[in-house]
Amino acid sequence: MRVPPWLVSMRFAENGRARFRFWFPLFLLWPLILVFLLLTLIATLVADLVTLISGRRPTYTRLILGVLGVVSQTRGTEVFVQEASDHDRIIAFTLR
Amino acid sequence: MGDDRTRILDLLASGRITAEEAAHLLDALDATAAQTAGTAGGDESGETDAAETAGARTKSGGKTGWPKFFSGPGVKTTQRTGASGTPKFMYVKVLSVKGDNVNVKIPLAVMRAGLKLTALIPAQAQEQINKSMAEHGMSFDLTNFKPEDMDELIEALREMEIDVDSANGDKVHVYAE
Repeated sequence: MRVPPWLVSMRFAENGRARFRFWFPLFLLWPLILVFLLLTLIATLVADLVTLISGRRPTYTRLILGVLGVVSQTRGTEVFVQEASDHDRIIAFTLR
Repeated sequence: MGDDRTRILDLLASGRITAEEAAHLLDALDATAAQTAGTAGGDESGETDAAETAGARTKSGGKTGWPKFFSGPGVKTTQRTGASGTPKFMYVKVLSVKGDNVNVKIPLAVMRAGLKLTALIPAQAQEQINKSMAEHGMSFDLTNFKPEDMDELIEALREMEIDVDSANGDKVHVYAE
């Protein structure tokens, strides 16, 4: 599994001047997310156990891991918007 | 790049070019690859920033002060496919006549991982989704979508290129690299 995004950056410019820059090291949130993930996994494992006992296919845990996989794959996403017709505004968003 | 190398070696094997010519072509190919790697830079995952910054320039030509970002509209970035030639990113570029410009780069792995999730949708919900899609003219069964089909589809995306030129001059370019 790939490493989840570790840095998000956002930049905003108007009339050719950088107005606002924001970057946040997402890896600082990883410990919190890990705790949340562990709690969620316990809940989904219990739900899967109940599902299995009731004779249906358990999917909750796999679903959570799948969602985590999708989030991990978002690294490299870049969005760039330039509004030349409105103060030449530029917004850029990057996920590393 | 691997395809070009194979093609040169095939030409040599079939006797259509001499060994000297093949060596010359391979050298030229290596030089091109080195140049591409040099201009593209790269991060730890082997993926590179979307090269040049034409899109980040303002109308007056001044720079916005941030690092290089997307290439300008209509300009393709450097080769970005993996060693197997599988495209890694999908690019959507929109350029309006007013000068508005939108560039989006999405990792194709998101699509792959997302479609794998469809296998986890409960059967009842999946039936309902298929029914709803059929009602809207999309006869498409998600259960028929296998991971190997996904790989094939992504491989085929390399050849995909969508160009839309609207009557008022706006342009949309969608491609995968």
